[in-house]
Amino acid sequence: MGRLAARRLLSELPRLEAVGVIDATTAERIREHYASHPAFSSRRLAMAISAVLGTLLIGAGVILLLAHNWEHLGRGLRAAVSLAPLVVSQALVGWVVVRRFESIAWREGCATLLALTVAAALALVDQTYNMGGDLESFLWRWSLLLAPLPWLLNSTAVATIFLAALTWWAGAAKVDGHEVLWLWPLAAAVVPHAFQVLSSDRRGLRAANLGWACAVFLSVAAGLGLEYRVPGLWIVVYCGLFALMIAVGVAVRGDEDGMWRRPFEAVGVAGSFVLWLILSFVHPWKHIGWDHIRTTERFHAVASWLDVALAACLPLAAIVAMAVLLDRRRHKLAMLWGLSVPLVAVVWPIVAASGAEWLGVFAFNLLVFAVGIATIAEGLKGESLARVNLGMVLVAALVIVRFFDSELGFVVKGLAFIAVGIGFLAANLVLSRRLRRDAGATS
Amino acid sequence: MNRTLRLLLLIVVAVVQLAVAGDAIVRYELTLRYGESLRFRVQPIDPVDSFRGRYVALTFEANRAEIPEGLEIPNRGWIFVPVVVGEDGFARLGAVSLSRPSSGPYLRLRSGVEGQDEEGRRVAWVNLPFRRLYMKEELAAETERAMWRRGRRQASVLVYVRDGVGVAKDLLIEGTPVREWIANGGAEQPPAQQ
Repeated sequence: MGRLAARRLLSELPRLEAVGVIDATTAERIREHYASHPAFSSRRLAMAISAVLGTLLIGAGVILLLAHNWEHLGRGLRAAVSLAPLVVSQALVGWVVVRRFESIAWREGCATLLALTVAAALALVDQTYNMGGDLESFLWRWSLLLAPLPWLLNSTAVATIFLAALTWWAGAAKVDGHEVLWLWPLAAAVVPHAFQVLSSDRRGLRAANLGWACAVFLSVAAGLGLEYRVPGLWIVVYCGLFALMIAVGVAVRGDEDGMWRRPFEAVGVAGSFVLWLILSFVHPWKHIGWDHIRTTERFHAVASWLDVALAACLPLAAIVAMAVLLDRRRHKLAMLWGLSVPLVAVVWPIVAASGAEWLGVFAFNLLVFAVGIATIAEGLKGESLARVNLGMVLVAALVIVRFFDSELGFVVKGLAFIAVGIGFLAANLVLSRRLRRDAGATS
Repeated sequence: MNRTLRLLLLIVVAVVQLAVAGDAIVRYELTLRYGESLRFRVQPIDPVDSFRGRYVALTFEANRAEIPEGLEIPNRGWIFVPVVVGEDGFARLGAVSLSRPSSGPYLRLRSGVEGQDEEGRRVAWVNLPFRRLYMKEELAAETERAMWRRGRRQASVLVYVRDGVGVAKDLLIEGTPVREWIANGGAEQPPAQQ
């Protein structure tokens, strides 16, 4: 049971005891059980968070101090200064490995300091000798030196910093027109750490934090890692990726309390939401497919084939995950959010072959509307205000983008807005009345 | 994994981290002490790097090297480019080769896009590795402003070259180190004849 559910149960105990559902002994036993629950060890978590934040601030401060350029110190002294914080943090991490490895706060804090002092050392050497090339080259060297640390020090904070540096590198390299084929093999350095975290505390907050870092990394890196030789292939890749995230997220952590503990599902739903709205415009569907393959610029052959492999494998993996991992009755809504995969598998080749852009636009407008309505219906059925509002936001967003996009007259647009607004208020009113009535019936 | 193995692996990682930073220090220090000094014509502008501070970005006039007849250069592979001094005293890039030249200063560079120059010769565009000069925040901004005050100035960068490595040491405005030039009110004087 998650932390929030346990809290809710504990707050219910006096009432259950008063109406005679449970006796005093049972209530006390339940209280004792959840008092020793690991989810309630919030002191350790708070210490770890403050250690990471503290070292993050100190490390960032050191980098800023060094960036000032203390040129009057002379090259020799600056070279020594650049290595000193690195040596100190390495020694500190060595001490933590020997004496304090079981303490998450010490481990995460010192590992974060080491990650930042590696950056500071590289930066100051580059600065002293006017070398190191562009930001891209700096971020690449930093990422390489960070790669073994998440696993070696069992540090989620460093894994997050590593994934952020790697994403930043890929972005900078793409801007300079370089291919980023090494993005995926290097990112795999986080996998052993993910196993460490999952095997020690699968339902813990550290697993959730690492999940967020991985989910956000995958969403951004998928776009940066593509070579874009075949126009429009990204549509298939992203539909598959987000559907796969939803399926895996719901299957693995669907019963957890709160959105923070369900990172893949949250990022998958948010990503699908944005992607579908983008695909409801005509622009992404223009000039897509093999007939428009780019030949005038230089492309990396392996990276181009990797695009094709991702476009084939991700949707396939999403379908397999939905079929194998999800329960058709229990996870109806998650399966509904995966509808974009079969839809894009049919629509994309037709638009690519015929140039019928309207078909893609029509299909995704319909998808947003249908999934929005279905989510509202599921929310009403399951008495979940969050789901009702998610569906409402989906429908409202569709109306808003069409408001700016379409050639409809102001009167029609105005009436559509009013209708959706009334729908919002009515659904919330109906649901809150029903919830109040149910609450009254049980008390 | 037991504690000893983890500690041993940490020591290996720490040595690699120190070696990467230390190797750069040794290589560049040797180049600055024993390398040949050359001057490249440049145009400086003043951007900022989130990690390494403020710098003057240098755009080099010597940004391409001729490819000899029949030579195929690898895409983004390593090439060797001799550095020759022209009659005006400024450095220029010689013809590309795939092996280290036996004499004279040269740079080991990544090959860029292949193209043709104004006379129809095959050339490789190159990015010189020393295209940033890090400076104090105020000086970098002041340098760019001073460069354009009362007309464009002639700027060059002093580079030391040794065993294919080049390290930029100072920015020269009209032949004078930039700090000295600004301190002596060089920016207030009219530009020298170019």
